[in-house]
Amino acid sequence: MTAITESLTQRFEKSVGGRFNWRYFMQDNITGSWILTVWVIALTAATIYVTVSQLAVSPTTTIIVLVAWVVGIGFAISSGLFKKRTSVGMWLHVNLMSSISNILLTLILTLIVVAGVRNFWSWGVVNATFSPEMTSIEDRNPDGATWGVIPAAWDLLMIGRLDRESMPRVQMSLAFVVVMGVITLVTTKVGLWKRNEYLRKGLLGIWAASPIVLYILLAGVPDPDPFINIQTLIAGEVAIMAVYGLLFWQKTVRFSIPSLIGWIVIWPISYVIWQAIGQSKLFPPINVATWGGLMLTMIIASSVIILSFPLGLVLALGRRSEVRGIPWWIIWPVSIVATIWALATSTTEILPTAQNTIQKILAFWPILILAIAYILQKNYSGNVIAAASTAFIEFIRGVPLITLLFMAIIMAPFFLADGVILPGVYAVIVGYAIFSAAYMAELIRGGLQALPQGQYEAADSLGLNTLQKMRFIILPQALRVVIPGIVGQFIGSFKSSSLVAIVGLFELLGIVRIIVANPDWLGLRLELYVFAGAIYFTGSFIMSWYSRRLEVKLGVGQR
Amino acid sequence: MTTNMNTAKDEVIVIKDVHLWYGEFEALKGVSLTVNRGDVIVLLGPSGSGKSTFIRAINRLEEHGAGEIIVNGIPLTHDVRDIAEIRREVGMVFQQFNLFPHLTIMENITLAPINVRKWSREKAEETALKWLTRVGIPEQAHKYPGQLSGGQQQRVAIARTLAMEPEVLLFDEPTSALDPEMVKEVLDVMSDLAKEGYTILAVTHEMGFARGVADRIIFMDYGEILEEDEPGEFFDNPKNDRLKLFLSQILHH
Repeated sequence: MTAITESLTQRFEKSVGGRFNWRYFMQDNITGSWILTVWVIALTAATIYVTVSQLAVSPTTTIIVLVAWVVGIGFAISSGLFKKRTSVGMWLHVNLMSSISNILLTLILTLIVVAGVRNFWSWGVVNATFSPEMTSIEDRNPDGATWGVIPAAWDLLMIGRLDRESMPRVQMSLAFVVVMGVITLVTTKVGLWKRNEYLRKGLLGIWAASPIVLYILLAGVPDPDPFINIQTLIAGEVAIMAVYGLLFWQKTVRFSIPSLIGWIVIWPISYVIWQAIGQSKLFPPINVATWGGLMLTMIIASSVIILSFPLGLVLALGRRSEVRGIPWWIIWPVSIVATIWALATSTTEILPTAQNTIQKILAFWPILILAIAYILQKNYSGNVIAAASTAFIEFIRGVPLITLLFMAIIMAPFFLADGVILPGVYAVIVGYAIFSAAYMAELIRGGLQALPQGQYEAADSLGLNTLQKMRFIILPQALRVVIPGIVGQFIGSFKSSSLVAIVGLFELLGIVRIIVANPDWLGLRLELYVFAGAIYFTGSFIMSWYSRRLEVKLGVGQR
Repeated sequence: MTTNMNTAKDEVIVIKDVHLWYGEFEALKGVSLTVNRGDVIVLLGPSGSGKSTFIRAINRLEEHGAGEIIVNGIPLTHDVRDIAEIRREVGMVFQQFNLFPHLTIMENITLAPINVRKWSREKAEETALKWLTRVGIPEQAHKYPGQLSGGQQQRVAIARTLAMEPEVLLFDEPTSALDPEMVKEVLDVMSDLAKEGYTILAVTHEMGFARGVADRIIFMDYGEILEEDEPGEFFDNPKNDRLKLFLSQILHH
């Protein structure tokens, strides 16, 4: 036995110029370790099994594959051992035929893929029917797909149970998004985006306003009665001015007459425009509970993606906050508003019925809120922001998404005033966005922690304040690091939006389930699931393609 | 610089009995120091002696537990506005340069003047170019930090600090991360600044710089100032035993 192997080895080594070592070859490929031996034997058995069974099913294709495989081995060996190096042979040698187990894997996978493609081809193309009229059971080919069900059920798939009269508005929103997308893409490509500041600002402004535009198109504006509600007008103005005051107090906005006028008029103008749109009856309200199909999937996915990012950012920064105690700019506005509110509601109620001085004094109990706030602000030194953010993130991450969706639908009324009904869609979007934001926060925190401490110190030592430090130094670098993770989370949100079917919303997959249960189309499942799968794949692929482009553009991995 | 000449002897930094703890470990054990305008002070000491901690406490990169630090008349307390005010007046150069890798050299230098000092972009860029010329690399303005050598990066870091026109410069081992042949270019810049009357506190192991440029040298160990003297006396006639040991170790090897 040894003699035979040795003479074989010698003869072979002579033929290839002594570069081939039989013992090393055996060790590398088969006898190196017992795991390797078992693996190669098992793989050989599996390959033989698959080959034989495929030979029985479709001899011609299998024989073609086998011949190609043998020729490929020949090429690879001749390139690897002899001087005849061809680019095809080298490629085969490196990628498909680098070891015995890889040679076997190449064959077995090729056979499986070929069988899959051949079967799908004959089912989906050769034996298939495509006409929407030929979906009844008598017209179907039992061996082929009945693609006609997709055009037949097209409206359902796209917009669900939404009123068909609203279809033009759906098309208008789609056109709006597509046109905006194309304009943005083209201006970026030709370089106008960088050169023309007004164009850039204009486009960014329209993008920023696009949720409102889409809301008007898809949800509509109710006809106002009366046209101007003075209470709403004043309440909105007070709220806006309060925000302005807070921002000014915090030196986030700088005071100037034009900016002040802008802040003052923004609310009345937008309120009147809103009411005017309502009165014009151009976009009457749509019952959002009837949203469905691909449209609902897109609405939920994009809202969740858009909401979860800033929310996650805030949570991540909160979790890393080093602010000790409760910041005065949180505690004072909150406690003052709470005090005024309590004085206005509780005190006015108690005071008229007070019978003696003590009760009259007690009626002013809301003053105590201020006292407690003062004591807390002076004496409490725990890290509230980090603790609250951490607790929130860990709680949300500890709850399954389905539970959160049910909670959102069932518990939403607890947080709302009596008589206000929040449509399930909105509750689900909020709950889902919170869920997604908790994961986003942890991703972003990873990016923040990846930055060297020196970056924070350099920014501090230059005198940048926290906001500037985050805006100019920390976030540009931290977010760049976590783009792949963030986009992964976006894709996850997009695909997991199919879970909302469980709480009774009929997005794409929910609608597919309804169509499958339709007596006319009974038995047509694969076609619809393949279609839904293709849509999800396209969406996910676009996002990951864009993320890769963004990574290249921002130079991820370069410092 | 004219103001510096007029008030040549006033106190820029006053540090009184400063203690600093990292948890249970006391990194600074009652350090006091007064720095006058135009002083060039070098801090020496073995590693872990607290000298870096000490100068980092001056602009609140480390928070001192007890004692008083007064910079330019402003006491360093928890008040964010005081900290911001002090950081504007105190510039720092780090061992690892800490340039912002995603910004060009020009953006690195102009970022703080534009956003903290509220200068116009034109003025900030003009100043930045002036300082880049001073440190000898105006032609690098539009490159990114990663494209520069270590010595050039450190000179950019110095220019970035100077562009804020600080009253005091803190150097935290500015040459320790550099290849030997690049040390000189950075030390030359530092010496020039010292001669021009800048107030400088530097932690460094460059004995030549300490001997040639410093007005005073401070020796620290175990979180305390053990000796403070002018350079000649410090090197030729050390009094403290630990300083004698330290000098014998670094000068004879």
